[in-house]
Amino acid sequence: MSLLSGTRVVVIADGLTDMGGAMLAALGADVTLAGVTDTPGDAARLAWHRGMRVAEGEDLDALLDDADVFLDGRRSGGGHDDARSGRPGLIHVVANVDNLRETPATDLTLMAASGLMTVIGEPDRPPLRLPGNQAFALTGIQVATAALMGLRARRLTGEGQRIDVSATQSATLANYREAVMYAWTGRVGRRQGNRLVRGSSGVRQVWPCADGYVTWSMIDNPGMMRALVGVMAEHGVAGELAEIDWDGILVADTDQGVIDRWQGIVGAFFAEHTKAELGAWSLKHGWGLSTISTLEEVRGSEHLAARGFWQDVPDGKGGTVKLPGPLFLRHAPPGVQREEAAE
Amino acid sequence: MEESRHPAPWEDVLGALDGLKIADFSWVGAGPRATKDLADNGATVIKIESARRLDLGRRSPPFADGASKNPDASAFFAQTNTSKKSVTINLGDPRGAEIAKRLVAWSDVAVENFGPGYMERIGLSYAELCKVRPDIILASVSVAGRTGPMAGFRGYGNSAAAHSGHAILSGWPGSEPHMPPFAYGDVVAPMFLTVAILAALEHRDRTGEGGHMDVSQIEPMIHVIADLFADPPAEKPANSDPVMAPHAVYPCAGDDAWIAIATETEAQWAALCDALGSGELRKDERFATMATRKAHEADLDEAIAALTMRHDKNSLADSLAATGVPASAVLDGRDIAESASLKAAGHFVEVDHPVLGRSDMPAPPMRMSATPHHVGPSPCLGEHSEEVFHGILGLSRDDIATLTDEGVLA
Repeated sequence: MSLLSGTRVVVIADGLTDMGGAMLAALGADVTLAGVTDTPGDAARLAWHRGMRVAEGEDLDALLDDADVFLDGRRSGGGHDDARSGRPGLIHVVANVDNLRETPATDLTLMAASGLMTVIGEPDRPPLRLPGNQAFALTGIQVATAALMGLRARRLTGEGQRIDVSATQSATLANYREAVMYAWTGRVGRRQGNRLVRGSSGVRQVWPCADGYVTWSMIDNPGMMRALVGVMAEHGVAGELAEIDWDGILVADTDQGVIDRWQGIVGAFFAEHTKAELGAWSLKHGWGLSTISTLEEVRGSEHLAARGFWQDVPDGKGGTVKLPGPLFLRHAPPGVQREEAAE
Repeated sequence: MEESRHPAPWEDVLGALDGLKIADFSWVGAGPRATKDLADNGATVIKIESARRLDLGRRSPPFADGASKNPDASAFFAQTNTSKKSVTINLGDPRGAEIAKRLVAWSDVAVENFGPGYMERIGLSYAELCKVRPDIILASVSVAGRTGPMAGFRGYGNSAAAHSGHAILSGWPGSEPHMPPFAYGDVVAPMFLTVAILAALEHRDRTGEGGHMDVSQIEPMIHVIADLFADPPAEKPANSDPVMAPHAVYPCAGDDAWIAIATETEAQWAALCDALGSGELRKDERFATMATRKAHEADLDEAIAALTMRHDKNSLADSLAATGVPASAVLDGRDIAESASLKAAGHFVEVDHPVLGRSDMPAPPMRMSATPHHVGPSPCLGEHSEEVFHGILGLSRDDIATLTDEGVLA
């Protein structure tokens, strides 16, 4: 992708800036990795430093003299407060754990501070984080956003600026539900396993099927319920579900015992069919069901292949590893024929 | 055209996106979160809504005073749509679609997250929009993207987690896939949408060329776990790290009280042992190095848990952080809403809203030294219809009244 071709970016990587640098590189910027202040493993390095040129013996000042954007990761302390001195056009994006105080943090502790972990997992076990390093990823995306905001602002003012990104706030911003629910209802969310609790009852979100799992929930969407029950009826397994007026009831207010009985009928139907069958029916009839893919299935997805999503990247050991490529597709305006049009 | 008024003090301060004009057709979460980013930074974002096909965000709890029938009472909607303007247009009426087109002609960017084919059916396809504004940037976000075999897929919030590998990797080792009670795809995808729009603007500024940005919810969800695709774990990672130990969540005194602790260095490990007052841990040969601690992680976690459970989660987190050990109490919704440090950092800002009153709204997680953001209230349904239809599009007030009566601007 060449949206940012010609834009020069220098990165000090510390976990907080890495994904931001990788995103700018994926958009076509010329990104130089000038330093790494933490100790990422091989997988993290492959994933988050791809597309970057590693500086070899080059002086940071010299790199900054030619740069449009400087991503200055400070999770491990340090930093370059004077980066803009003599470089008024430089956009200096500083990634801090917290914009008001220096404090040690890892992805795990940032996720704990986000308020998300308290609702992830099982009620009788400790809070869980999301897979991977999501606080770092969320901060990295905000770092890329800050750089792009800075470029846009530079067109207005003619000058760069310093932009401080908070990892704590970046992770907490992803928690769009818990704080506002407490503020307005006084309710504090807790871990519910795979139950989706709405109103006075809870419904299941994950279901075993013949060859794996699917996700679907019995929510108040009459059209979706009719579409599912219609196919079940064709197979002669709808039972009492075929008699229900879905427009006339609210699942959220239905007795839990009744919901469990209805879910038992649906569960028996799902258990008899494969992910491919259920996924195809969902696509055709609008059930809102999704098959739960293994990593191998994600890699082998025809859909993602058709969108040119995967790229083979050298793994540094003589082989290659399949990693995500474009951040999104860009379709060029009608009449514009260029190779890069459908990235 | 536009009526004169006294500017608010913040209007004298340049925002990073001042002058940028957005026709925002998006609704619920995935699109509006991106346009919030733009609006809070100075862009004029006009939200095109309809009372006949209400943004489901306006129907989403919690509500001020429990007023679930009031389209302006949703706090969920308010926090997702700060700083925007709202007009009502019935896009199902061809006259409404034509007015929407005029709004696109005025705009730099149009944003949508409708179901597959909807924009085409109402005559607002990308090709049609290019006819009224050749350099328009159309930004679309959908579950699976606008091309490919799954382009017609209709899903809900957690579909992207299912199709990206998140669901299979979530939960405890040996357990079934896990679906948390929030749609992470509705968080990550709009952030990619913001990046796509800003990058497209940079490209247009250089080349004069717009484009259709096609953001899938599935693909960003894969990007954020790219390291797990680079080296797939044999088992769900849960709270563990491939290298670090300790790296877990431990119980503290009180109901559902927990602390997350991780050590990246030997110095941090030593500081942790000292802070917990455990000379035994430091002397234990099983825990002598990071590698041996990792090899005996279950024993290590049990030993640390026996020590942390005597402490208050916040006090312990503060004392550990003071000695350089990465640690945080596991916060809940109340902790976040009442956090003095988040408030001081500007994470929440108080905004006056005609229905919600003075209430906290989330702000961008960055401080721009020269072009600060400003978070304004979310709009009431159709609040800016006259300002936009008359002031921007030049419709007469009589025409506006007639079209409103006929259900076109409704």
